[in-house]
Amino acid sequence: MTWAEFWIIILRVVLTFGLLLVLTIVNVWLERKVVADMQSRIGPNRAGPYGILQTVADGLKLFFKESVTPRKVELGMYVLAPFLAVVPAFLIFMMVPWGAPFMIGDQEVALQGADLNVGLLFILAMSSMAVYAVVLAGWSSGSKYPLIGGVRATAQAISYEAAMGLAMVAVVMFSATQGDGGTLSLAEIVERQSGTWGDIIPAFEPVARFIPRWNIFPQIVAFLIFLIAIVAETNRAPFDLVEAEQELVGGFHTEYSGMRFAMFFLAEYVNIFSMSAIAATLFLGGWNGPTFEGSVPAIISGILPTVYFLLKTYAIVFLFFWIRATLPRLRYDQLMSLGWKRLIPGALGWLILSTFVIAFRQFGVPWG
Amino acid sequence: MVETIIFVLMGLAAIAGAITVVMARNPVYSAIGLLGTLFAVAVLYVLQLAHFVAAVQVIVYAGAVLTLFLFVIMLIGVDKEENREENLRFQRPVVGVLAGVIVVMAAALTAFGDFDWVPASGAVIPEVTNGTIQAVAEPLFTDWVLAFEATALLLTIAAAGAIALAHYRRRESTDG
Amino acid sequence: MTWEIDYLALAPELVIVVTLLVVLALDLFLTRPNKYWTATAAVAGTALAAIPLVILAVEGENVSMFEGSYVVDEFALVLKGLFVVSAYLVLLLSHHYIESERFYQGEYYFLLLASVLGSLVMASARDLIILFIGLELTTGPLFLLAGWRKGDAKSNEASVKYFILGVLSTAILLWGMSMLYGLTGEITFAGLATATAGLADEPAMIVAVLFVIVGFAFKISAAPFHFWAPDTYEGAPTPVTAYLSVNSKAAGFVAFLLVMYLALPELSEIWAPALWILAAASMTLGNLSALRQSNIVRLLAYSSIAQAGFMLVPFAAAAVAGTNIEEGFSATVIYLVIYALMNVGAFATVIAGANRTATGDIDGWAGLGKIDARLGVLIGIFFFSLAGIPPLAGWFAKFAMFRAVILAGGTATVVLAVIAAVNAVIALYYYARVIKAVWLDDAPAEVPARAETPPSVSLRLALLISAALTIVIGFFPAIATFVGDASRIIAAGG
Repeated sequence: MTWAEFWIIILRVVLTFGLLLVLTIVNVWLERKVVADMQSRIGPNRAGPYGILQTVADGLKLFFKESVTPRKVELGMYVLAPFLAVVPAFLIFMMVPWGAPFMIGDQEVALQGADLNVGLLFILAMSSMAVYAVVLAGWSSGSKYPLIGGVRATAQAISYEAAMGLAMVAVVMFSATQGDGGTLSLAEIVERQSGTWGDIIPAFEPVARFIPRWNIFPQIVAFLIFLIAIVAETNRAPFDLVEAEQELVGGFHTEYSGMRFAMFFLAEYVNIFSMSAIAATLFLGGWNGPTFEGSVPAIISGILPTVYFLLKTYAIVFLFFWIRATLPRLRYDQLMSLGWKRLIPGALGWLILSTFVIAFRQFGVPWG
Repeated sequence: MVETIIFVLMGLAAIAGAITVVMARNPVYSAIGLLGTLFAVAVLYVLQLAHFVAAVQVIVYAGAVLTLFLFVIMLIGVDKEENREENLRFQRPVVGVLAGVIVVMAAALTAFGDFDWVPASGAVIPEVTNGTIQAVAEPLFTDWVLAFEATALLLTIAAAGAIALAHYRRRESTDG
Repeated sequence: MTWEIDYLALAPELVIVVTLLVVLALDLFLTRPNKYWTATAAVAGTALAAIPLVILAVEGENVSMFEGSYVVDEFALVLKGLFVVSAYLVLLLSHHYIESERFYQGEYYFLLLASVLGSLVMASARDLIILFIGLELTTGPLFLLAGWRKGDAKSNEASVKYFILGVLSTAILLWGMSMLYGLTGEITFAGLATATAGLADEPAMIVAVLFVIVGFAFKISAAPFHFWAPDTYEGAPTPVTAYLSVNSKAAGFVAFLLVMYLALPELSEIWAPALWILAAASMTLGNLSALRQSNIVRLLAYSSIAQAGFMLVPFAAAAVAGTNIEEGFSATVIYLVIYALMNVGAFATVIAGANRTATGDIDGWAGLGKIDARLGVLIGIFFFSLAGIPPLAGWFAKFAMFRAVILAGGTATVVLAVIAAVNAVIALYYYARVIKAVWLDDAPAEVPARAETPPSVSLRLALLISAALTIVIGFFPAIATFVGDASRIIAAGG
């Protein structure tokens, strides 16, 4: 490895990390504004223009507040839990390509923390790690409500992870037909969604060439399942039984305060953004979009992919906020029956259906 | 060099985790010790360029199995005073002796055994650059497809059987 | 694609797979009074699985798939036939028992068929991975089935004991197998056989082989690894016990023999003495413990441990002597097949007898022959056959065993033969004790309450088939020698 390559890796990681951190701060403010608008309130409007610095102010406040440690906590796990929440959240986003690669000298810089060939599996692995933070926080607090929150989180995470994984499998299988062999690398999956359907389905060329070649069109059911699953995975309303205020005070983080609470808070918003970004990457073509290369300055066509990526991601993030503001929370048995009796069989059925379609297109009918 | 350092560190971490599993008084700490071991082993897999195995190890064991362990530990309740009285008083010394035998055996094997005849002992691991997934998937779905499908059935058996055993019918006559 | 699957050769397995999925699906849609359809489907499916077996046997072509790790030859077909027939008989035994006791039916047949599938896979397995998965598929469902009488503490005990020791033995077995693979880099039997040549005194090999042997010894409940068997047999529902002592035991035996005989023939210096000890210990411990049993199921449990010892005798003797190992192998397989058929029958009489007398105690069976003569005759047939009395099938098994031992020759072999002969006499004593109770002892004054329940049609059918087989093979042992010939072909060809 040359030094140039080394610095580029550092640059990629720092850029990705920085982007995520800044956007998360924006997201917290955005959610409060959006939800406020939906509820005919004003929302934060004091700190900075439109109250955009409100998150920073809150963060500073939490940072300087006393971190109260209740007497009955299991100290080791109690301290460890917030870190377990933050680290996987950040690592997930490292896999997401958030812009077109560009050149510095003769080195190509991919705008992505890291491109693993097991990228998608890594994401699954890390998202399943997130549950430990909730469980351990709930348990180590040595108090009833957090414990119940923790137990709920475990069951919920396991239930919806299966549906999420199955939806991913369908996409990966479809994606395998769009290029040379299957892949789990997110950069490669994005690559395969460039262009329009016009090149793929010549019969409907006049119409199809206006439709981008995103996975959402052939895999719409997988997309919906994935969307529901990620809302549940991030413990957001209407699946926020982990921290249902009316039942569990604050849920798993009831006993946390100050900086440690801030870390859980941060992790939640990082997760929302990461998951939305993954949904955009898998189904909405990632950073793909018209760059008008040659007709606009190079700097604009270089930045446009990142803009597209952010637009798509924020569309989904907005959906998160919208759902939260509109839908009432599910009852626990409804949550479980939705997960096990609707989503997982649905995802399996869709998977089988798309297998048949793919096999049919590749090999023809078995008797022919 | 770097590889050796990581190997030693992760090996130690794995052993430390394993010791925690056995020694911790609190089952939650045991579970976390196991988590540490699983992660350390996953890193060792990465070191062997088996990225796929490493990822699957984390997803399946750390993500699902251990989460269920924790779930069960919490449902049962760890605060209850456990009955730590051992009915088999001789089991600890016996296990100690057995462990000693195994250690001695392993040491003797390493010290006196000559492993020149082991075909893999001198082999060089081929450089795998483009993904181990294909390398795993291809044999799995060709030569080993029968074993693979049989394993799938094995999991179905476990699921169906466990539910049938655990499920209690409330009313004999109506329920299926 | 360079690989091909011969679907006809896989047809018996596929039929069973389809059947068990149909059973599971039927169970979902049927309401309680109609659940017996799952049993019908299971029985029909098992019978159907015999059709491709016959076709394959008539064609007589050897099929080798998956780079030689899955072989369908005469030997595999004979064993598959045995597994299918004994599974069919066990299914017949189960039907009434499971329905009348209001157990879960669909899952029961699903699990039982899965276990049958495992044994079918194992008969064809010619590499460690497929063998192992077949073995797990065979025993896995039985952990659950052993605990099927959920309300009964004994059944729970049976399940837990079987499960824990089964998992332990699996771990040991797998450890040994992984060492074999690690040391040789080979996973197929053929590859292992070549790779292990001349390595019999490597310590690492000795450890690996011993682990494999201990693992299998648990599975076939050979002494001194047998202690789970009596409790499990007693606690499990009786049809499951029949299956445990017949199908799963035979499957474990087949796996054990295949690994030793096909994969590790070069290491016979290591495993032959171990097998000798297992054989001698199982016979002696099994028989001596059986002498003291008052419960009929426990008696059969110990008897099956002892029979496992008898089965090992010819193979162990030949391996120790190092001569005529093919004869030893085929004698062991002959013994296995005959044992399986007559033991199913013995368990069928146990179910029928327990139905009649409402007890499993041997003393409680006093005078049963006078109440129900037909049942008494059948008990006589199966227990005398188990003891090896001519002209019932059991005598030929014992005959083949002693013949192979004599062919092998050598001091250690003679010692083993003497031990076997003494044990055969002991065995005769306790088998005869059951028959004495049934025929010579006086019936109790009042007839037990459940005496009125007639045995169900399926139970009668099972009794009829197994009795017929036991008698016919006894008179025409040529049928069984066919089995031996098939095993000799595997010996030559591999």
